[in-house]
Amino acid sequence: MPGTEGWEARGAAVVFEDVTVESGGVPIVSSVSATVPAGSFTAIIGANGAGKTTLLMALLGKISFKGRVTFGGTSGGRQRRIGYVPQRLDFDRGIPLTVTEALVMGRQRRPLWFGVQKESREEAGKLLEMVGARHLADRLFGNLSAGEQQRVLLALALQQKPELLILDEPAAGVDYQGEKLLCRVLESLRGQHGFTQLMVSHDLAVVTAHADHVICLNRKVIGEGPPARILTPEVLEATFGIHRGLPDLTVLPEESRAGEGEVRCKDCVND
Amino acid sequence: MIDLGPLYDLAAWLLPFDFMQARFMQQALVGLVLLAPMCAAMGVQVVNFRMAFFSDAISHSAFTGVALGLLFGVEARLSMALFAVAVGLSIIGIARRTSLSIDTLIGVFFSAVVAFGLAIVSRDRSVARSLQQFLYGDILTLSNVEVLWLLGLFAVLATYQTLSYNRLLYISLNPVLASVHGVRLGLYQYAYAALLSLVVIFSVWAVGVLLVTAMLVVPTAAARSFARSAGAMFWWALLVAWTSAVAGLAISAQPWARTATGATVILCCFAWFVVSQVWALLHKSSRR
Repeated sequence: MPGTEGWEARGAAVVFEDVTVESGGVPIVSSVSATVPAGSFTAIIGANGAGKTTLLMALLGKISFKGRVTFGGTSGGRQRRIGYVPQRLDFDRGIPLTVTEALVMGRQRRPLWFGVQKESREEAGKLLEMVGARHLADRLFGNLSAGEQQRVLLALALQQKPELLILDEPAAGVDYQGEKLLCRVLESLRGQHGFTQLMVSHDLAVVTAHADHVICLNRKVIGEGPPARILTPEVLEATFGIHRGLPDLTVLPEESRAGEGEVRCKDCVND
Repeated sequence: MIDLGPLYDLAAWLLPFDFMQARFMQQALVGLVLLAPMCAAMGVQVVNFRMAFFSDAISHSAFTGVALGLLFGVEARLSMALFAVAVGLSIIGIARRTSLSIDTLIGVFFSAVVAFGLAIVSRDRSVARSLQQFLYGDILTLSNVEVLWLLGLFAVLATYQTLSYNRLLYISLNPVLASVHGVRLGLYQYAYAALLSLVVIFSVWAVGVLLVTAMLVVPTAAARSFARSAGAMFWWALLVAWTSAVAGLAISAQPWARTATGATVILCCFAWFVVSQVWALLHKSSRR
């Protein structure tokens, strides 16, 4: 995994400058200034209610905020191609929408009641192939498991050919195997397509294993930088509170510690 | 005035029964055959967006629309349509800017339009008599002008659905996702609200305020059980709506039935719904 030592010099995909979001006069995030290095996997971490999703919504222009968000040197950000994977979909699962239709509805002009065009079906197939979900093409989207839905949503985001891929807690509601698979797919895709990945997470194990830049948020920025440098006990305590932090591996027997490290590395990075 | 005679003759030729010989029955059939698919098509999104309450609020705005028309000496059906569109656009406009949930907002508008209508009626009792026909609707009194209006609305709606069906599906999945991925949310939502308001008001003429939501919701509710794709759902909804409209009109004209046409159409839709639920139970395991 590439380190981000000296990330300040790599150029920024996104810069938050003094961003404040308020609801009824109460600040949800306050004076957030942070940078998402270009080409990085940046994780925004924080406890529930820390303002992670709010910051993403400000970035996407979906809520009003004070301050400035700059995309790779351009203000406003609408010019950039953005792929977005939401945390969860509050949609009607009874809609008989097939996975192929879900991947076609944003592109195909001809209404779906005249069927899916051949070229649209082929493009949907390729996208599903990229996320290892080709076998889901004819399934109903509402009948998929949370992990399967996340992969389809990832394919939908990749359809945008994103320069910036934004994921809001993609592992929420997904079991360990599903999360592992998603991490693996994202690692591989980022390697192939070179997009900047910005992911909200409160899963420190995922962040330490995969991210190369981290922004610790607790309504304001507690710290940012490479995980190995920034995730100190003090920062974690300020971010998550006194009871949260990295698993304290020193309390485990020597062989368990070694095994834990190997499994995570093998499954999530090299697998 | 465009001569619609050949259209009515065609209706009589397609349904060569005694009850179809009367001109008003031919006009009613044409009206229903135009209105039913419009309701079904818009109903697909009403169900997807969970907006049944929205159509209720719009239909109840008919009272106020008529009352306002009578008050200001404007043709009642024009004032109904204009007022309904204004209410529909206002609900969507405020929903896009407030943190209130959409059902709370619709509830507020629902109560306000009903209260407004009642306030006007309470000042002038003669207005109340004019309002009664909109409570139950009557497709059999459809005029030539109204059929022409329906034809115009049908053309606009067919164009809108052709251009927007896919993107509206995207919005129903997740509006933020759709908008980040380039779907112009405001354009589709405002156009949908305005057209749905017009369809609801035209449906009030046919089936009345009390049953208009059923015209929108029931065909799609039945279609969902039969369809295996979003594309097929559209055609199933149309099939349910068309067959129910024709069967409802035919049954209501029988001497042994002599029922209100609008109510009979809705009952036919409901029969489809029952069949669809039985179908769904029998084929539960095959839906993947």
